Amino acid sequence: MSSRPVWLERFFHRADELGAHELSWLDSSPVAPKPSASSETKELLAVRLGEERYVLPIERVREIVKVPVLTWVPPVQPGLLGVMNLRGEVLPVYDVKPRLSLSDVARVVTGPGDASRESRVVLVRDDAGDAGVLVDAVQGVVRLAADAVEPPPPGAGDRSVIAGLGRLQGELYIVLDVGGVLP
Amino acid sequence: MSPPRAADDFLAEAQEIVETLGRDLLVLDEQRGQEADPDLLNGIFRAAHSLKGLASMFGFEAIAQLAHRAEDLLDGVRLGKVPLDDRTLDALIEALDVLQAQLAEVAKGQLAGPAGARAQAMAERLAQLAPGEAQMAAADPLEGLGVDASVRAVLTEYEEHRLRDNLRKGVLIWKVRAEFALDDFDQKLAALNAALKPLGEVVSTLPSSRPGEDATIAFDLLFAGKRPRAEIEAQATTFGAEVAPLGDHSQVRPSAPVTPLPVARPSMTLAQAPAPVEPELSVRSLTQTVRVDIGRLDALMNAVGELALIKANLQRLAEVARTATAALPGRWGQELHVEARALERRLEELQQGILDVRMVPLGQVFDKLARLLRRLVRESGKEVQFDIRGGDVELDKLIVEELSDPLMHLLRNALDHGAEPKAAREAQGKPGRATIRLAAWQQGNHVLIEVGDDGAGMNEPKIREVALARGLVNDERLAELSRQEVLKLVFLPGFSTRESVTELSGRGVGLDVVKTNLARLSGLIDVSSEPGQGTTFVLTLPLTLAVLRALVVEVSGKVWAVPLNSVLEIVAVSDEDLRTVERREVISLRGQTVPFVRLARLFGLPERPLEKHQVVVVGLAQQRVGLAVDALLGQQDVVTKPLGGRLAKVPGVAGATDLGNRRTVLVLDVASLMEDFLRPRSRALP
Repeated sequence: MSSRPVWLERFFHRADELGAHELSWLDSSPVAPKPSASSETKELLAVRLGEERYVLPIERVREIVKVPVLTWVPPVQPGLLGVMNLRGEVLPVYDVKPRLSLSDVARVVTGPGDASRESRVVLVRDDAGDAGVLVDAVQGVVRLAADAVEPPPPGAGDRSVIAGLGRLQGELYIVLDVGGVLP
Repeated sequence: MSPPRAADDFLAEAQEIVETLGRDLLVLDEQRGQEADPDLLNGIFRAAHSLKGLASMFGFEAIAQLAHRAEDLLDGVRLGKVPLDDRTLDALIEALDVLQAQLAEVAKGQLAGPAGARAQAMAERLAQLAPGEAQMAAADPLEGLGVDASVRAVLTEYEEHRLRDNLRKGVLIWKVRAEFALDDFDQKLAALNAALKPLGEVVSTLPSSRPGEDATIAFDLLFAGKRPRAEIEAQATTFGAEVAPLGDHSQVRPSAPVTPLPVARPSMTLAQAPAPVEPELSVRSLTQTVRVDIGRLDALMNAVGELALIKANLQRLAEVARTATAALPGRWGQELHVEARALERRLEELQQGILDVRMVPLGQVFDKLARLLRRLVRESGKEVQFDIRGGDVELDKLIVEELSDPLMHLLRNALDHGAEPKAAREAQGKPGRATIRLAAWQQGNHVLIEVGDDGAGMNEPKIREVALARGLVNDERLAELSRQEVLKLVFLPGFSTRESVTELSGRGVGLDVVKTNLARLSGLIDVSSEPGQGTTFVLTLPLTLAVLRALVVEVSGKVWAVPLNSVLEIVAVSDEDLRTVERREVISLRGQTVPFVRLARLFGLPERPLEKHQVVVVGLAQQRVGLAVDALLGQQDVVTKPLGGRLAKVPGVAGATDLGNRRTVLVLDVASLMEDFLRPRSRALP
């Protein structure tokens, strides 16, 4: 746990040309995979929502920020917490827990004071417009072999929200469908 | 599909040329039947020539070909080989429309659109009008001029033509010899040309046959003087120039025109009649380009340079603070304060500079409107004169673009429904020719644009009838309305439908659309009309949309910004002042009943019990609404940002803005709010 902020920081600031062998520091992280021999791997950002662990494709992640002050807007969409100002750009921020059936009540979060210290807003790219997703914690990056991701079994949850299930070293990762989880 | 960059470059430049062409052709059009200004003709010829070159450089062969044909025809016209009659002028004006359609297709990325075929036909038509060889009159008046053969050899065909043309009209030709010092001869020569221009035409400037002394250069100007010799000499001698007659002046007399240019108006055959203006024809620009005076960019550059200096100072101060071991000296705080003030001022300059760059003269759109309208007038068969003023008034580019369609709408209405036919006008004792006015002027932070006519005026009984038939007002209410209030009914959505256009002899053709477009620009529209005297629409627009002055208010603990340009006044009312009409709260404002909207309730927020309500009275277009807020916090300049793609349509919210100190607040969308509130049935806010 203690090493996480450091390597996360390093992950987001690494030079593009770093080769796989230079990513060995990932091995020290709790969720780091063993580089698999041949199969194609995907990088995913692992986040905690409630007690469950979700991953979302790293290419959909634009930025991770601490919970900012949110400005109230009329509740025109479910889960809409408000808008935040990201260096002059106005972006909506959503609580996706009700959508994932992790909570029944819509939370009211207006700023850092309403969220835990580990909470973050993950800014995701989406064709309908970028948005922020409030998560309880950011846990790191996992690399999953493409063939290690299986479609969600029937009845395991809302298919339009979950893109698949990944397994790695005995851990279960729920791959989020970013477009589907946003209203 | 967006066109590639090269096409953008082409479009920006081509459109500028086409606009120049349009403006100049418009002048020719206004002077129909008169002698055309040779400089103007020459300018039009050169514009066509540039367009041809530009189009072929970028590989737009169809455009190049049409421009080429137009150039040929114009060359004939400027050389006097082709008469500038209605047929030629109409063909040129139509060719311009085709060129514009072609450019529009390029902008849309259509490579083989319908304009291609039109261009082909147009090019052939122009080619038919262009001169064949050898139409020149046999006797050459130039022979008698006594110009050296060596001089004649260097005169261009055009210059020869101008000499001939002047001689034919009995204008005397003078040789003005001027000698200037080498170091500033170009300025002096330009000044001499400018001084002579009012007195006639400088046909050619040649090196003098009598060379000047050392360090000077001498010119012979062939000058066709329309004024007496004394006047020409008076001007010339101030430049130390000598004036001598060229040729035998006693023999040249204002002879009967040798070949009078046929200015007769041939009856048009069907094929030659100008194509009707397409209804969807828009005068919007094809590109988003703004042409900027370099001076304005210099000012920006300056401001940025100053900012860099301030940044360096701030860095130094930060370094001092970082490395300080003891308490910072008091001087440090003062310096920081000074830099902060300087930063504020420079940023203001930068902001103003950016706003200036966005400003374009309204003339850009006025010219296009005038050209289009002139064509519509010709088709309508009415006699109309235009009075266009204020083309130099500047507005934000965005607003100017958005304005073009509403203005066209209003002008068309003025022509179709305002201006009466000549006979009808004369029967009322009015001048036979109707006037349509288009004027702009600046008033404080707003620009006012007036579209008016001196026609029949709006038909009040008819408007009452239609409003009643469409259920916009009930009988009782209608009886109470004054004429002015009745006129405003035409702006209501649903007042006019397409079907009603012809049956409705008054106005109201899609005026609600005009109103909506204006509301989007935070603009107001007002109408006044007197029977028999005409109708005038006045549009009030903010100078710019980029930065808005906003009233900052508090509603249920949340801060909002209300664009100040829609705020009319602020009043305080207590609960006793509230009345209800059809279960809706209203207040009475100097006799006018204004809907009272509790913003907190509208947005589903808890309401605070208050002794007195602060009511912000907002108005857009014709409507007024009082918005109840909890407190007024002040005024501030704000830059409205959209809420982002996912929240494009939040009722009542135009966007968000940063109030400084990193507080983001919502900007109230007065237009959509009023729309929602004033719509009879649904109030679709959450």
